[in-house]
Amino acid sequence: MKPRGFWRLVSIAVLLILGALYLFPYFWMVLTAVKPLGEFYRFPATIFPERATVQPFVSVMVSRGFVTLLRNSLVVCLAAVGIGLIVSMLIAYPITRLPVSPRFRRALLNWILSLRFLPPIVVVIPFFDIVRRAGLYDNPLSLVLLYAVFSLPFATWMLKGSLLEVPMEIEEAALVDGATRLRAFFTILLPQIAPALLATAVITFALSWSEFMFAFILSATPRSQTFPIGVASLVTQFEIIWNEMAAVGAIAAAVPVLLLLLARRYVLTALTFGAVREKA
Amino acid sequence: MAPPVLLLAALVAYPLIYNIGLSLRNYRTGEFVGLHNFARAFQDPLLFASLRATTIYVTSALVLEIALGLSLALLVHRTIRSGWARTLIYLLFIIPMVTPPVSAGVIARLIYTPTYGVLNAGLRAVGLIGEDILWLSRADTAMFAVVSVDVWQWMPFVFLVCFAGFQAVPQDAVEAALVDGAGGWHLFRHIEFPYLSSLLLLVLIFRFTDTFRVFDHVLVLTGGGPGATTEFLSVYLYRIAFKFFNLGYAAAVSLFVLAVSSLAFAILGRYLGREVAE
Repeated sequence: MKPRGFWRLVSIAVLLILGALYLFPYFWMVLTAVKPLGEFYRFPATIFPERATVQPFVSVMVSRGFVTLLRNSLVVCLAAVGIGLIVSMLIAYPITRLPVSPRFRRALLNWILSLRFLPPIVVVIPFFDIVRRAGLYDNPLSLVLLYAVFSLPFATWMLKGSLLEVPMEIEEAALVDGATRLRAFFTILLPQIAPALLATAVITFALSWSEFMFAFILSATPRSQTFPIGVASLVTQFEIIWNEMAAVGAIAAAVPVLLLLLARRYVLTALTFGAVREKA
Repeated sequence: MAPPVLLLAALVAYPLIYNIGLSLRNYRTGEFVGLHNFARAFQDPLLFASLRATTIYVTSALVLEIALGLSLALLVHRTIRSGWARTLIYLLFIIPMVTPPVSAGVIARLIYTPTYGVLNAGLRAVGLIGEDILWLSRADTAMFAVVSVDVWQWMPFVFLVCFAGFQAVPQDAVEAALVDGAGGWHLFRHIEFPYLSSLLLLVLIFRFTDTFRVFDHVLVLTGGGPGATTEFLSVYLYRIAFKFFNLGYAAAVSLFVLAVSSLAFAILGRYLGREVAE
């Protein structure tokens, strides 16, 4: 190729600027979270806190009771991940390991994918009425159900992809040796797809964790409100308590960001439903 | 496999059918009103204002995300070779994509708030502005603010998909073109772009459907305001359904949102059908 020293410099400059543009906001959120309020209001502003404190975290989690919301989020998301994984395995296993017509397989996969494109507002309007009549308004159960259903497109497509990568022969050998299908599944197949299964769990957990609209509309009290609802209430209140808002914003972001840095190999593949494979 | 699939189908189909039922009734009285809710939509100036705002949002977010993401992918693909640098870029760019919308809202608040916000402080420091800009209280700047959050979070998605696409271009084809004396533009337009076009369609549909139904960070950041200038379709529907409790009318309009999203999915489905069938 031609000498491209100039473009290389442009590229490095652009990337450095973007790096700052993307990391600074997180950095600023964390710094604001550990600043005493008096220092936040000081003029001119300080960048690093003179007296860093964890008091905003303590006050928002304990005094404002955000611990309860954190617990709700964990319970709802874990339950949804569990149900979502089981159901998606019940769908992905037969269409990849049993003889089914390719047309049926494609139709089913496409239909499940279509859930990804179903606008939540279209679901939540009727669901609100249904849930209210069923006495499940402000009940975490309705969120578990919705999160499980909406985790299916990701989970089914990811499991389908990883199941297809395990050669049929391995399992068939076990079947010939007299193992039942169930036994072959647990002893042969499951260990093979364990990393992908774990990544699927992590990604669907992170997606449910970040969900906002369903929880916002279907919950009303700390009995069922999730963590993001608490965060939103601190952002939209009339007089914002800046360091507390930053503290919960940082906690809400830290959970999925850390989880997905662990499952990084699968993030782009999952978000594009296997259309793109990244080898990071 | 039949039971879970049927159960799921029922779980998804039931609310949608229920929605049609809602749309044909007056929610308060429960009385059947036929297509009244649909007819009303055609005479609702707020709905048209919302459609207009949504169009501005979707168009500007899509254009910026795709233009920036694609050019960045081309630039990085041509100039950065080192493996660890590429891994670092990948890691940097998955962070915003997995940041919850409420946290993005917190970040945007810290940046755009008038007196103590980073943006005004920065602009003041370099002497660009004398007095604070009220970013979230003016129609044009509020729109800019909500679009900027979308672009900030999702330009990386376009970048990563395009970047992966560039790497999938067969090296032989690129070298053959270079031997023939092809320039950078020619290489992009005739060798690389054909490989990218299907991925670009995918990105376009994903981003279109997501921006068309945007709700989370807008509600947190502007709540649809000032006035109704950032009251995009989902935000408007939320107000009709859960502030005025007119679920019938909201259901009718939501069917329109569903129709548009389904159309976009059908286009993607045709493409995916081709890919799966090979």
